[in-house]
Amino acid sequence: MNERAGERGADPGPPGGDAFLTVTDLHAGYGEARVLHGVNLTVGRGEICAILGPNGAGKTTLLRALSGMVRVRGAVRLDGADLTRRPPDAVARRGVAHVPEGRGTFMPLTVEENLRLGAFVRRGRGEVEADLERIHGYFPVLRERLRQPAGSLSGGEQQMLAIGRALMLRPRLLLLDEPSLGLAPIVTRELFRIVQTINEQERTTVVVVEQNAHLALDVAGRAHVLETGRIVLSGSAERIRADEQVAQSYLGYRV
Amino acid sequence: MTTGPTEVTDKPAPAAAPARGGILARVTGAGWRRPAVAVLLVLACYAPFQLVPFRVFQLTMVLVYAVALLGLNLLVGHAGQISLGHGAFMAVGAYGAAIMLDRWDVPHLVTLPAAAALAFVLGLGLGLPAVRLRGLYLALVTLAIAIFLVPLLKRFESVTGGSMGLTLAKPAPPAWTGLAEDQWLYFLALAVTVTAFLLAHGLLRSRVGRALHAVRDNETAAEVMGVRLPFYKRLAFAWSAMFAGAAGCVYTWVIGFVSPDSFAVTLSITLLAGLVVGGLGSFAGPLLGGLFVMFVPGISQDINDAAPGVIFGLLIIVVMYVAPTGLAGLAGRLARSTKRILRKE
Repeated sequence: MNERAGERGADPGPPGGDAFLTVTDLHAGYGEARVLHGVNLTVGRGEICAILGPNGAGKTTLLRALSGMVRVRGAVRLDGADLTRRPPDAVARRGVAHVPEGRGTFMPLTVEENLRLGAFVRRGRGEVEADLERIHGYFPVLRERLRQPAGSLSGGEQQMLAIGRALMLRPRLLLLDEPSLGLAPIVTRELFRIVQTINEQERTTVVVVEQNAHLALDVAGRAHVLETGRIVLSGSAERIRADEQVAQSYLGYRV
Repeated sequence: MTTGPTEVTDKPAPAAAPARGGILARVTGAGWRRPAVAVLLVLACYAPFQLVPFRVFQLTMVLVYAVALLGLNLLVGHAGQISLGHGAFMAVGAYGAAIMLDRWDVPHLVTLPAAAALAFVLGLGLGLPAVRLRGLYLALVTLAIAIFLVPLLKRFESVTGGSMGLTLAKPAPPAWTGLAEDQWLYFLALAVTVTAFLLAHGLLRSRVGRALHAVRDNETAAEVMGVRLPFYKRLAFAWSAMFAGAAGCVYTWVIGFVSPDSFAVTLSITLLAGLVVGGLGSFAGPLLGGLFVMFVPGISQDINDAAPGVIFGLLIIVVMYVAPTGLAGLAGRLARSTKRILRKE
């Protein structure tokens, strides 16, 4: 218990010490309801970081706090720049792309219009065209569906669209909120594989919130366990996976 | 080897995709739109020479309502907000123009941009509640604006003429046109309508239009993509109010008289009903809605003199039952099924 209590205070950070995202004593909530009670977290440049934890732990709120959608106390720094209390559009301009819970598809708009909206804060048409091509490379199915209303896509395709749309921002940091939600396991595995490819090819730092710990730990380098608004455990994916007792007590099931 | 050739044929497609898709979309979906608009414009220019002055006046009023509905459509159909007080913006434009004409003898054409600008600024201000409220709450606040407007107009009698209203000179047709007054007014309204439609069309195809659609379809996703919700919601209100204000100004030109009771709450509600019946978020919706707002109350009166309101309400219910996406949606559906039948033969 003592060892865990020690980790509660400060996250030792990724090996190598090249912190890209630093979250210090972050508090957030909605009106009276406080959700995050002092989250400390560092994410290394170019790594995939998984945030695990049960329902209601504050995982989604943490991502919303990172992208400026909820009021926060504490500090969020991205590559040295202070993002604390910046509005969502300023955060997006800084290169943070957020794939919201439930995918956030613009249903009546076409797949292409959805993708182009992903580049909303960017200028330069030529680059946007090139990026469309790039995203078709990751998700060939989107090219076939370009003119279709996004609402007609399947759940898995919509999740691909959501990730593709986020990539249109040319993000330095990609926040994924529960990408496996409501998808078949085989589709989810494919998605995580693509996320891994994106991470490797574009050196995009990824923070993924997941309830499906198995999947997330497969692709993540490091993981953090969030419970009732606090990080209760941080470490390499292997270590978290190996820590069966932790898995049972904090995740409620065997990993 | 098998993938080689397909890749080669695949490569040029993406570059050509936008243009090809554009043409495809034009042929299949909106292909009949350009010719239809051209035919409609020719008919619109021809009509006033064939109709009696009263009918010309009615058509002029259809155009006035269409411009107001165009504004409301931006807000409700494209930005996904709601306003039960759009009659108030029409009143602002109408009274703005009337007071300018009455007090300072401003030329008619000057009143139009002035009234539109006035409504735009007020829209920015009254768009503030839209930033914080949504759905029913926003509906309630906008309704309150419409409700409090009439007593306000009656109160400031020295400027607004109180309950008696203001009577004004209509714009006179220049001699070189050889037009009668009703025809001249009609063409003025037509010019304003065409300009308004072009403006709205351009706006919707721009970055602003994309932002409005994003706000309408998913606020959270729009926000994380960097669309500033407060800014675009207020902008939607302001643009929307601007069109309503311009419509109000033309209303003053055409009627030559403004009174508070012309802009009662019923006007705001009729406008919203007209837009929904015409077709939310569609190009033709405001025009069809304008026809509905202008003619259906009269038709209801013809059907049953005692209860025109009941008939009007019933007609709305019937239209919504037969065409849940409005008359514009119904027209689109008919066009598609006709095409399908033609293709089979």
